Amino acid sequence: MTSFNDLLRASLSRRHLVFGSLTLPLTLLGCGGRRTSEEGVVDLFIQSDGDFLAFKPDELTCTAGALVHLTFHHAGRFLSALHNWVLAYPDQMEAVDKDAEKTDGIISANDSRVIAVVPMCGKGETVMTEFTAPPPGDYPFFCSTPGHAVDMNGILHVTV
Amino acid sequence: MRRTNKIPAVLAAIGFVLMFAAPIWAAQLKSPDDVKTALKLLVQVSNDFKRQIGNKNFARVPHEYMEYTEAADALRSAIKNEPADFKARVETRLKAAVTAYQKISDMSVNATDADKLMAEHNKAVTAMNAVFDLFPADFRPDPNLPPPGRGGRGAKKN
Repeated sequence: MTSFNDLLRASLSRRHLVFGSLTLPLTLLGCGGRRTSEEGVVDLFIQSDGDFLAFKPDELTCTAGALVHLTFHHAGRFLSALHNWVLAYPDQMEAVDKDAEKTDGIISANDSRVIAVVPMCGKGETVMTEFTAPPPGDYPFFCSTPGHAVDMNGILHVTV
Repeated sequence: MRRTNKIPAVLAAIGFVLMFAAPIWAAQLKSPDDVKTALKLLVQVSNDFKRQIGNKNFARVPHEYMEYTEAADALRSAIKNEPADFKARVETRLKAAVTAYQKISDMSVNATDADKLMAEHNKAVTAMNAVFDLFPADFRPDPNLPPPGRGGRGAKKN
């Protein structure tokens, strides 16, 4: 026969499970969008700050050599501005951004100054990319829509 | 004689009260966060206009104008539940601002002189500030400052 205490324990367990599943995404966001899903694989999430020219968060962290799965979400609601996420080698951001002005922001994935790039997307859209984290250091990322990079940029910290 | 002297004084008093009535309406806005966002977006797009003109990237200016109209629509949406008088006042000034930015866009098609466009941009900012004047002071974004939360860690600022 099931006692009242057993029922209470089972109910609490279910509550914990539901609570845990609801708070996990928030916990991940609180950790700067980082989640290690398996050994050597890092999931990163980043989005535009609504329609404003900023990334949220504007700093990401991963370990050198990790396989990074990065998801970018365009969180805008009003403006038709396109955004993307481009990861460049140190001191290359301005040069890449300047060249992108001539191509309406489109950057080739084969550009040797670039580590990773997600396609341009419109409001509400989500895109993904995958890359191997470079050696330890700070790497700039930015949106290559002409005029955006000066405000819409951040840093990927690659740790040992 | 005395009575006729009182009429201007009464009219002045009514005007004085009405002058303060508009900000009081605005202080009780029904969607204050949406209004703040829309006003910041207007400034953001205006700054982008300026940046494209400064970089002589004139081909991008019409796109900025399109975004300006979208930011204006965001403001219209944010105040849709406000009193009709207030909406009408905002609409009149907003239309003037949008027209001023449209003029820059039209001029950019054949533009070669960034200074001329920049002069028009200054006029447009004045028109935009007239819209902001209808809202409480703490709602008005500074056109010379980027909205809070904008990035800037990896790039050198202009």
